[in-house]
Formats: sequence, C-alpha cells, structure tokens
Amino acid sequence: MRRRNCGYSPGVTATLRFDDVRRRFGRLAVLNGVSGRVEPGGMLLVTGRNGSGKSTLLRCLSGLLAPDAGTIAYRENGADLDVAERRRRVGVVAPDLAFYEELTVQENLEFFARLRRTGPERGHAVLERLGLPLDRLAGALSSGMRQRLRWAWALLHSPRLLLLDEPFQNFDRAGEDGARALLAEHLQNGGLAVVASPLPLDFDHVSGHLELGV
Amino acid sequence: MKTLLAWLLWLWMCLVIVGAFFYAPVVLQGFRTPGSSRIVFFHVPMAWSSFIGFIAAAVWSLLYLIRRNPRHDRAAAVAIEIGLLFGILATLTGAMWARIEWGAWWNWDPRQTSILAVILFYGAYLALRQSVEEPEKRARLAAAYALLGLAVTPFLFWVVPRITFSLHPDPVVNRSGKVDMDAANEQVLFASGFGFAALFFWMQNLQCRLEALAERRAALKE
Amino acid sequence: MSRDTSSWASEAAAVFVKEWRCEFRTRYALNTLALFAFTTLVVVSFSLGPMGVARAQGTAVLPVLLWIILLFSVAAGLPRAFVQEEETHTATALRLAATPSALFCGKLLYGLTLVLALEVFVTPAYLIMTSLEVTSPWLLAGVLAAGGYGLAAGSTLVAAIIAQARSKGALFSVLSFPVLLPLLVLTVELTRGAAAGDAAGVSLPVLLLYDASVTVAGLMLFPVVWNP
Repeated sequence: MRRRNCGYSPGVTATLRFDDVRRRFGRLAVLNGVSGRVEPGGMLLVTGRNGSGKSTLLRCLSGLLAPDAGTIAYRENGADLDVAERRRRVGVVAPDLAFYEELTVQENLEFFARLRRTGPERGHAVLERLGLPLDRLAGALSSGMRQRLRWAWALLHSPRLLLLDEPFQNFDRAGEDGARALLAEHLQNGGLAVVASPLPLDFDHVSGHLELGV
Repeated sequence: MKTLLAWLLWLWMCLVIVGAFFYAPVVLQGFRTPGSSRIVFFHVPMAWSSFIGFIAAAVWSLLYLIRRNPRHDRAAAVAIEIGLLFGILATLTGAMWARIEWGAWWNWDPRQTSILAVILFYGAYLALRQSVEEPEKRARLAAAYALLGLAVTPFLFWVVPRITFSLHPDPVVNRSGKVDMDAANEQVLFASGFGFAALFFWMQNLQCRLEALAERRAALKE
Repeated sequence: MSRDTSSWASEAAAVFVKEWRCEFRTRYALNTLALFAFTTLVVVSFSLGPMGVARAQGTAVLPVLLWIILLFSVAAGLPRAFVQEEETHTATALRLAATPSALFCGKLLYGLTLVLALEVFVTPAYLIMTSLEVTSPWLLAGVLAAGGYGLAAGSTLVAAIIAQARSKGALFSVLSFPVLLPLLVLTVELTRGAAAGDAAGVSLPVLLLYDASVTVAGLMLFPVVWNP
C-alpha cells in the first residue's frame, strides 16, 4: 500500500512557550498560572480530571480565548506570531469543532482550504488514510466519521503546531491507529503538538507532561 | 481635594439657579410665555451633558479596545448610564416647555426627535450589556456598539432638522437653536452648561469609584 | 505542501459562495424573507391601496410603509447569517480559519444580495398593489440600491454582535433600530421625493456617505467583535 505523503512543510522550525497563564470564568479560576514549553518534534501531554482546565488551556493556546494573565509565545523560524496569526497557523482538533451540515465533506474541505489559502489535497490525503468518503453530507456523518473530518480539517494547511483536545475520541481501532500514525509523522517532521486527554494516553513520543487541577 | 471641588460645584450650581431666576432678564422674544423660557438654562445644558455622555462613552470604548483595561469599559458604561439620565431629564423638561409654548407635549420637532433617538441608542447599549455574561466579551461587544453608534448618529442630527424644517417651518425651532441672546442670558446659559458638564463628570467619577469598590468587595468575599 | 492559491478577495468570495450554497439547500432565509414580505405587502395594500387612501396622502404615507416592510423582512431573515454559525458551533472553525475582514465582506455581500433580491420582488409588487406613482424611477432605483446596501451593512455588523449574546432575536431589533434609524429617515425622504418629484432637502450623496460610514465602521469593528 502506497502511503500518501501528507507533505508537511519542512524547514519551518516552530517553538511554543507559555508562562503563568491564568483564566477565570466568573468566580471560578480555571487556570491558575500554567506554564510549559514545546520544542520541535516535541509533544506536551496535558492531563487532569474533568473540569481541570485542559480545554481552556488549549483554547488559550489556539487563540480562541484570551487569558486573563500570562504570556503565550509561538514562534516560527524565530519570528513571534501575534494572536491573529497564531489562530490561523495552528491545527486544532476539539470535540466542539463542527462543520457545515448542508455541505458534503469535500465541499467543507474545499471551503476551508480556500479560507486557509491552500488547496484541499492535504485534507483528501488524510481522509484517504483514515477512511471517509468525500461525497457524504457532513450532517449525515457518525461521530467517528466526524472525528476523521476534524483531523483532515486540522491538517489541511500543514500546521507546525497541533493542538489536540481528546483527539482519539469516538474513533474505532482503525481510525485511532491512523490518527496516531499521522501524529507520529507530524512529530518526526519536527512539528509540535499539545495533546489534552482526561484518560492516560499511551503514546511513544511524549516529551513533556503537564498535570492540571493538582 | 475632591470634596472641595464637590462643594465648589454645589456653590456654582446654586449661583446658576439664582442667576437663572434673578440675574437673567426675561428673555427671548417671540415666546408666548416669556417666563417659562427660563427653562432653557436647565433644559439645554442637560441635553449637552447627555451628548457629552455619548462622546465620553465612545472615547472610553476606543481606549478599552486599544488597552483592554476593564476600568475603561466600566467608565464607558457609566457614561452611558448618566448620559441616559440627563437625556431623559432633557426630554422631560423639553416636553414641559413644549406643552407650555406650543400646546403639545410632543411635536416631532427635530431636537425632540434627535434626543429620543439618542436615548433609544443608550437603552440599546444597556440592553446589550445585560445580555452578555462574560465580562471580557461584554466589554468588547459593548465598546464596538458604542463606536458604531458614534459612526451613524451624526447623520440623524444632520438630516432630521433638514427634513422637518422643510415640512414644518417653525420660527421658534430656528430661533431656539441659535444662541441669539443678549449677554446676561448667554452668561447664565454657558455657566449652566459648564456646571452641568462638571456635574456629569463628578457623577461619572463617583459611580465608577462605587462600582470599583463593589467589585473589590465581591472579590474579597471569596 | 501549502501554496498561496487564493487571496483576500478569493476568501471573501468563498464565504459568499458557501452562504448561498447552504442557503439554496435549506432555503431558510429566502423563505422567511419572502413570507414576511408577502404577508405585510398584502396587508398594507389591502388597507391602503388605491381604494383605501387618497392620492395626495398616498405620496406621504406609502413610501414609509415600503421601507417598514423591507426593514422587518431584513430583521427576520438576515441575522441568521451569524446566529446560525454560533448555534451550530461552526463559528469555531471559522474563527480559526478565516481572515476577519474577508469574512465580514463575504457575509455582507450575501446580505446585500438577499436584500436586493427582496427589493426586486417587493417594490414592483408594492407599486402596483398600492398604485403609488413614481415621478423619478431612477432616483427610486438609486435609493433602493444605496438604502438596501445600508440595511445589509448595518444588519450584518449588528448580527455579528448579537450572535454572541443571549436572547438574540429580540436583541437584534433593539440594537439595529438606533443604527438603522438615520438610514431609514434618509431613504423614506428620498423615496417620497422620487414619488412626488421633490426630494425636500436631502440628497442621495448623504445616503452614500452613510453607507460608507457603516462600511468603514464594520470593517474596523468586526475583527474586535468576532475575535477575543
């Protein structure tokens, strides 16, 4: 079986560093000064019980949420990217990511590819590996198939930083194996990843571990 | 220092009231009931203060969007609240005057219409703030709406007098818009304007401090 | 390999195409607008049609009602453009992928085409059913185009604001009215002028200035509204 190379852009070195990130919702302090760093090829595993702030941290890192305090510095080739650029450069898989139900999988990917100013080929390649027909309506997908689409969407623009919140949720054996392989390739090519999981995740390439809610 | 200024303001306003009733000559030809025209010394400055609220809120909103300092957001919201208060007072005094002078509480006179539109805007701003729970989002959305309001409301002030004037030519409308008074009246009017503007900022300052204290108390309670 | 296959304009176009593609498959906005407009049209022309109001009064009253029909139809059908993104949670993907200004323009163009389609449907029907005579049809067309643009632009920005708040339906009307009031005052007066032949002190350039104002405000404020 010839494996389609999902062409990660080589030569771009990225680093992520966050210091003393705090975020509260009303009275509840969800993040209480969290810090970490990720080097090229590194994967930071974020664990903690439900409600410990894993998703909140990932949303702060992706730029969807502004922290109350602290700094988040994402650099590509030594240059600092501001929040707006970071938002567009990262690849995100999260349980609340949804796509347009009235459009097919292919139409969704093409739309987002045009927004990302790239072609949909990467997305198609990922879906071919994970297994998902392109002409299915996004509204007619099962939860496992939606997860596959989320992975394809996340990798569409060859991001150097992957922010994965419960990335193997709803996957069957084949889907999970395929996603793990994609993640391993991404890291081997020098990409970064921050993975949040409530349950212990058995993964080879973990370079750092952050336990929240402790 | 602040207490001293507050007392000075009180004194100033007392002088304004005295001046309005005793110093300023009975006034403004062309009014049917000249005595009632003294209301101009209160009604007009109230309207001015209401507009100050609008502009102040827009400025603080812009500052908030640049600096993201919650104090600026609070200042903008308070400015709108006080602007609303003065706007309502201006409308009420204007309606009273209109009743005496023109016989009806409401005439769709351009100024009445304009101040009503501004009050509606204030109400909408406060309704927006009520509908967003998260402080950061609330501040952001409210600031954007305040600036949008600033972008469009001037058209109303420009357009409405032109339309209504052509349909209902009314010499009184034209006259009361211009500062066409003799010196004593002008002095009282501008003194009152200054006083009401100072009153606005004094109330604004008080309310902001009050809310800041309330927030600190709530935070300490945890 | 990522290549820069598109530009800002292409992003905006992609948003525009996506909106219409989704719209054609559900027809939600088109149905809402059409139903609302048709119902109000029938009611108005029934009570104020040729038999209901004298000719002179007609010129005073009928232009207002046309714009009321347009305003309320827009309020019924346009906010969905942003509200639905938030409710179906597609907004997350959009926030991560789209350039805010391109997104705003795409949504604005979609709203504009909706409003223009609405006007094309409503105005001739209205003129016929109420027998309102129009002295300068070119002025009327200009007012409808420029006024329609103002409606779309103002509504799009307000929709973006309320989509992130609670009680979105009621809040849209409350927030959009003060913003659209100057526009409506202008368009009604100009429509009256187009019907009667005398524009009574206002002119089309002021309307265009309003449009420009709202557009600039939208472009500058939308990124703030959309992203934290």
